[in-house]
Amino acid sequence: MIILDQVDKVFPGQNIPAVKQVSFQVDEGNICVFVGPSGCGKTTILRMINRLIEPTSGDIYIKGQKVSDKEVNPDQLRREIGYVIQQIGLLPHRTVEQNVALVPRLLKWPEDKIKPRVRELIDMVGLDPDEVTHKYPFQLSGGMMQRVGVARALAADPPIMLMDEPFGAVDPIVRGRLQDEFLRLQKEMKKTICFVTHDINEAIKMGDHIVIMNKGELVQHGTPMEILSEPANDFVKDLIGVDREMKLLDLTRSSEVVNRDKAVPDQVRENDCFISALDPVQRALETMMKKDSDIVGVRDGEEEIGIICWDDLKKLINKLSGDA
Amino acid sequence: MDFEMERFISALIDRSPPHALVHLQLVLIPVIVAFLIAFPVAVLLTRRRFMKYTDRVMTIFNMGQTIPPLAIIAIFFPFLGLGREPALFALTIYALLPIARNTLAGLKGVPQEVKEAARGVGMSELEMLTRVEIPLSMPVVMAGIKISVVLTSGTAALGALVGGGGMGAVIFAGIDFFRAELIVAGTLIIGAIAIVLDRILSLIDSILTPPHMKV
Repeated sequence: MIILDQVDKVFPGQNIPAVKQVSFQVDEGNICVFVGPSGCGKTTILRMINRLIEPTSGDIYIKGQKVSDKEVNPDQLRREIGYVIQQIGLLPHRTVEQNVALVPRLLKWPEDKIKPRVRELIDMVGLDPDEVTHKYPFQLSGGMMQRVGVARALAADPPIMLMDEPFGAVDPIVRGRLQDEFLRLQKEMKKTICFVTHDINEAIKMGDHIVIMNKGELVQHGTPMEILSEPANDFVKDLIGVDREMKLLDLTRSSEVVNRDKAVPDQVRENDCFISALDPVQRALETMMKKDSDIVGVRDGEEEIGIICWDDLKKLINKLSGDA
Repeated sequence: MDFEMERFISALIDRSPPHALVHLQLVLIPVIVAFLIAFPVAVLLTRRRFMKYTDRVMTIFNMGQTIPPLAIIAIFFPFLGLGREPALFALTIYALLPIARNTLAGLKGVPQEVKEAARGVGMSELEMLTRVEIPLSMPVVMAGIKISVVLTSGTAALGALVGGGGMGAVIFAGIDFFRAELIVAGTLIIGAIAIVLDRILSLIDSILTPPHMKV
């Protein structure tokens, strides 16, 4: 869907390239997260995809079409790519309705199609259309503005979205909620998304695929599981942080670890020490600690399908982290 | 110099109105022409292609305001002679700077993230200018126009010295004939013109100012 082929970017007046020989591919319907410290080139890559910045060398393809081709008009290109930035950038002199309708109006949609679309979108991002459509951005909270920003990016139903720290400006609680809601939306929308963050936890949570960048170079890319279980070097290890094992547990579903052959002991049932098969294994660990038990039962819906023991977790951690 | 109320009221009511109308023209025409020149020029100077000329062009506008209007008339006397036209010409040059400077400041003050987002959703440069940059810089541009109007209202009195007419004619008649009534009446009416124009512009301003910028 999106392919970068040996892309370089050297900003004028600088010796060190901002992006060095980066190649990778984002598959259709995936969220690809670029993560790395400030100045690692992740935002530059994003801005090259919609040609806010032109690469110094190398090629970028969207659906097989080279974006730097002469016949591609950058303005037209951007209208077909949703764009969300951390500072949101809502037009302060336009209402929420006008902001969300921005791209459809640029694309000259008929007005009777735009109105219902705007309401649908505002509802979709979890706001009340009756309440907010006629408000101005300054009358909204940070979280609400960010939702409007997402609605605006989605307005013309672009197949591709570029999101630059879209949830970076809100507090951690709101951020978590926005992330959850966005993942829920993405399950239905199946957009191809490039997502930039400096927060490895957000990357692991949001990404189908993670690209780790440092000093303009691509350090490692892979699924969150691959990155966590086989960090390529010390930089990646540092980025992941000391709680790598816990993050791995968070990425593994209980159904993958559950011991289906053993019956659930009565003691577990008395303490109501159960988790769902869909829960991450980390939940098993939490439940063990909370209930002071070495065993948790696993349920799939109402059905008891097996147990997870403390020893299973230890083995899992050793296996995943490769330290055994 | 003595002051007679009767003469003063006669100067205000009988003598001044025709001059006031001329004076109004001496203010409005230069400011409108100055706007038509300074605004597009300042807009161009914020475009990437013309940015490098900013300093040079602004120096010219600065000179327009530092050279006294009378000197401009003197310089252009061989071409324009005396009368209404040279007065209008000099006042126009005088009115350029505040409008140009404020338009530049207003456009540069549009928040970077708003421009970034506008470009990011695919607005062309012209769409950005007309839908985002100009509307958001309107309050600052209007402030510049107001400054020009007030400055020109006062300076236009000098127009009478070169045969341009206006309230200056009343004031200078007062000076020549030692009539304080005429001087005071002329000054008052110039002040009134400045205030009224400023109020009207404030009204337009409040319509053009985006809601989030209203105090």
